[in-house]
Amino acid sequence: MNLIDIIEQNTLWPLTGGIHPAEMKHLSNQTTIARLPLAKTFYIPLPQVGDSALLVVKVGDRVLKGQPLTKSAGAMYLAAHAPTSGLITAITPHASNHPSALPELTCIIEADGKDESVPYHSAAAQELSKEELIARIREAGIAGMGGAMFPSHIKLRPAAKIELLIINGVECEPYISSDDRLMREHAANIVAGIEIIQQLIGARRIVIAIEDNKAEAAAAMTSAIAQSAALKPIALVRVIPTKYPSGGEKQLIQIITGKEVPSGSIPAQLGIVVHNVGTAYAIRDAVVEGKPLIERVVTVTGGNIEQNGNYWLPIGTPVSHVLQQLKLRKDKQAQVIVGGPMMGYALPDANVPVLKGTNCLLIPKRNELTHASAERACIRCGECAQVCPASLLPQQLYWHAKAEEYDKANAFNLQDCIECGCCAFVCPSEIPLVKYYRVAKAAIRKDRAEKVQAEQAKIRFEARIARLEQEKQEREAKAKEAAERRKAAMNNDDKDAVAAALARVQAKKQAQATTAPSNDAIAAAVARAKAKKQQAISATDTATDDKKSQVAAAIARAKAKKAQASASDTSAASASTLDTPAQDSKQAQIAAAVARAKAKKAAQTAPAQNNEVADKLATDGVEQINSTNDKAARVAAAVARAKAKKTAATESSVESAEAPSTDQKAQVAAPDDKAARVAAAVARAKAKKAAQTDEQAASETTLTEAPATQEKADEKQAKIAAAIAKAKAKKAVLSGSDDAEQTEAMSKQADDNSESSSVSAADAKKARIAAAVAKAKAKKAAEQDNQENQS
Amino acid sequence: MALNIASSPHMSKPLRTSTVMQRVLLCALPGLAVQIAFFGWGTLFQVLLAMLTALISESAIMKLRARPVASALSDNSALLTALLIGVAVPPLAPWWLTVIGTAFAIIIVKQLYGGLGNNLFNPAMAAYVVLLIAFPVQMTSWVAPISIAEHSPQLLESLRIILAGTQISVADTFQQGIDGFTMATPLDTLRTDLSQGHVISDILQKSAFNGVVGAGWFWVNLAYLFGGLLMLKMRLIRWHISAGVLGALSICAAIGWMWEPATHVSPLMHLFSGATMLGAFFIATDPVTAATSNKGRVIFGAIIGLLVYLIRSYGGYPDAFAFAVLLANLTAPLLDYYIKPRTYGHGRASS
Repeated sequence: MNLIDIIEQNTLWPLTGGIHPAEMKHLSNQTTIARLPLAKTFYIPLPQVGDSALLVVKVGDRVLKGQPLTKSAGAMYLAAHAPTSGLITAITPHASNHPSALPELTCIIEADGKDESVPYHSAAAQELSKEELIARIREAGIAGMGGAMFPSHIKLRPAAKIELLIINGVECEPYISSDDRLMREHAANIVAGIEIIQQLIGARRIVIAIEDNKAEAAAAMTSAIAQSAALKPIALVRVIPTKYPSGGEKQLIQIITGKEVPSGSIPAQLGIVVHNVGTAYAIRDAVVEGKPLIERVVTVTGGNIEQNGNYWLPIGTPVSHVLQQLKLRKDKQAQVIVGGPMMGYALPDANVPVLKGTNCLLIPKRNELTHASAERACIRCGECAQVCPASLLPQQLYWHAKAEEYDKANAFNLQDCIECGCCAFVCPSEIPLVKYYRVAKAAIRKDRAEKVQAEQAKIRFEARIARLEQEKQEREAKAKEAAERRKAAMNNDDKDAVAAALARVQAKKQAQATTAPSNDAIAAAVARAKAKKQQAISATDTATDDKKSQVAAAIARAKAKKAQASASDTSAASASTLDTPAQDSKQAQIAAAVARAKAKKAAQTAPAQNNEVADKLATDGVEQINSTNDKAARVAAAVARAKAKKTAATESSVESAEAPSTDQKAQVAAPDDKAARVAAAVARAKAKKAAQTDEQAASETTLTEAPATQEKADEKQAKIAAAIAKAKAKKAVLSGSDDAEQTEAMSKQADDNSESSSVSAADAKKARIAAAVAKAKAKKAAEQDNQENQS
Repeated sequence: MALNIASSPHMSKPLRTSTVMQRVLLCALPGLAVQIAFFGWGTLFQVLLAMLTALISESAIMKLRARPVASALSDNSALLTALLIGVAVPPLAPWWLTVIGTAFAIIIVKQLYGGLGNNLFNPAMAAYVVLLIAFPVQMTSWVAPISIAEHSPQLLESLRIILAGTQISVADTFQQGIDGFTMATPLDTLRTDLSQGHVISDILQKSAFNGVVGAGWFWVNLAYLFGGLLMLKMRLIRWHISAGVLGALSICAAIGWMWEPATHVSPLMHLFSGATMLGAFFIATDPVTAATSNKGRVIFGAIIGLLVYLIRSYGGYPDAFAFAVLLANLTAPLLDYYIKPRTYGHGRASS
């Protein structure tokens, strides 16, 4: 059933729960709304300054009545105006009109008594556009005058389509009669205000709800509606039964439409908007007369006041001034309640201002409202549940709130409690139930706020961890890149050095070959074998290097691409970041080129193998040193075998002719043979020794002494040469004993060289190779000798 | 200027716990008066004895618990418990029976559970069950209504019998007439005779019954019904529990009666026998031990009504209110947990 049908049906739905407290409205509603002499000092709270409002006045300024004190700086802006003419003496925190009386920023105006006003610009509402209407209402600082003080210009621009506008003239709280008097005396102006509201929201029906204890007000409103051409067809006054809390927004909607505002949402979702009659009156003043909201009707009543009644009080008038003017009776236990006895709050300090939402100041006599007595045990009578307008189970809420089981209290819908006070009103044990609920609600709010904070802290923490991790990865990547660059540079240097050294060795060898022509052939063979071997190795090395370089190039390309991708992601950023992909790709290309060049060079300069072995040692770690040494040794052995074969081939051709003579020679050669073996053993031992020392040194020297490798390489080559020489010497021994002394000398030379080489780690390797070569040669020679001897 | 501050609401309607209890006590007076009229002065003495015991027990235990004695006594709840025990025990039961029962109710069932508002079981009914189980002979020897008894003890005689403290000697002294001044209650007679194969119509011809219901008991129940209606009018209780009890009992009795009238008594007999009206309005409505939501209270009452019917018709005891109430007390927390009213703005929100 839609809202219009419901309104047409002209039925009222009963209020769930509710109570009938003594009304006490007759105390104040008998006289017309009066005025009090102006106060000397006015306190205009400016709580929005620094948030959604900016201060436009300063201390020492003279302000006129109706002059704005702030200007808008946000959507929730609620304008504040000077209520009278005077001097701004201070803008400072001052006790607030709040149960806590906590100080808030307040503009203190010393009235000059002239009450001079700024000129108001009147206008005809019908001729104004919606925007102009809203602007006028906004600039006038209109707020919900039922007590909520929500900026009206926001509520007048609802997001949803509004079907029904309810004007709240229920005023269900005992004692209060400000709306009652306003409706009786200014019904026409209220209706004019309703017309403006209707002009803004375009509701299809308007219901003015008034309790049946305000018959005069209802009559006045009915006749005023009848005189309004715009409202007559769609608006009606609906008199509802007097029952507290019918005036609550949600309760009034239930009574008028039978619908309930879903928990946690606003009436606009149902297509309903509720405005207070006082707000309608103020809207008319603002739009038609251009007068800002600087005064309101306040009921001042209670047994401790002699002149009960309703008064036009300028916003900002100190409560103490009102009490003084209306002759507060002497009472040590005086109580000033802002609002009604059911939902109002007791002021801790009377020197606080009247606000836009202050509809009543209740100053009761002692024991006028209730007899103070102690809280007793809950007997679970359930009267509270009978009167609860929200259909809660107050005794269960109390039970859980008292035990601080707030999650359970929440499960009983504590958040739907409107704090109307019906439960506490009827409680036979006089338990201040609402107080318990407020405490519980505050605790839950605090808990939620803390949870939100904890959640935010967690997000912050995780973001920090992620950032640190990313930074670490970036650092590592950089370090790795740098290491690769350094390695690449080192390899190039080494290879060059080795190549140069090799050339020198070759030259030396040739020089030696000229001095020792008999060894020429062997030396040449060795060189050839070596070259072959290295070619073979370098062939594979080239292959792997090629592969490596390709991989490196691919990686470089991938990196470049990645950099480009990330750059495009952050393309909105500065131009300098745009350059980086180009640089990166360039770098990658350079890297790729370097890699290719290396591969080529490696292929060209085969001896680089040793360096590579050294590199491996450096990178692979100490554990692998032995195995790589073995490899090197095996390589050397292979080289030796190759050499030996060759020598065997040449010798057999040469010496087979001298076969008969070799028998004798073989006998003679036996001791020589021994000598050669001894020399070989010495070489081996030395090599071992060198190997022992080199284990640690190998890695160090190759890594740290990169510049020095050129010199060392020379030494290396020299030692190789020495070893070769030694081997040759042995060979000579084999071929004949004539050269024994020479052999000894040469081996000695070799020893010397070996000794000097033992200082350097890399040299030791060479020595070992040489030793191995020598050993192999010696063996081979011995075998051949034996064969020859046998044959 | 020092201002007095307090949390809202600042207004309250003073209908205090003590006032409520006091009014309930007053509403029970018509029933008590009729009971005295039909069963002699014994009941009055039992009630006074129970009240005295209750006040002494409550004071003692509050002192032991270091709580204010005066406020506990002034809430009148102990007096109400005492009244219920006083009218429930047989009028001429020995004094120690009432004293033990009342002391048990106040000290164990009420105060040891945390005092008013915290007890799980109805104190008066728990005490009644303890007495019924511990002293079955004394608890089932009810006096014959004055109207049909040959001889009824007078005021001082009753007091002497109660204070003498021995049921047997009393029975010997007054063993005359039908069966002296003590006899089984109508419900007890009914179940004994039914178990012996008699039919209802025959049994109702006995002198214990005046045609339809038990002699005397009808008027007692009527008086308590009047008191109950008075309480409803004064808003001391809500209708839900009483309606649940009487509704369930009537419906069950009607079904049984229509199904087999020879062995099942009429709903009228059920409603106006034994403790039905006293139980429905004064015992089951104890808010502390009942469910709290309206729907829950109807169900709570219906559970009592159903149990009363079942125990009366098929159980081992002639009347069953004490057992039924205690069993229903056990269900109250469960009912409160599962049966909650729909909060404003929840569920069927905008229909």
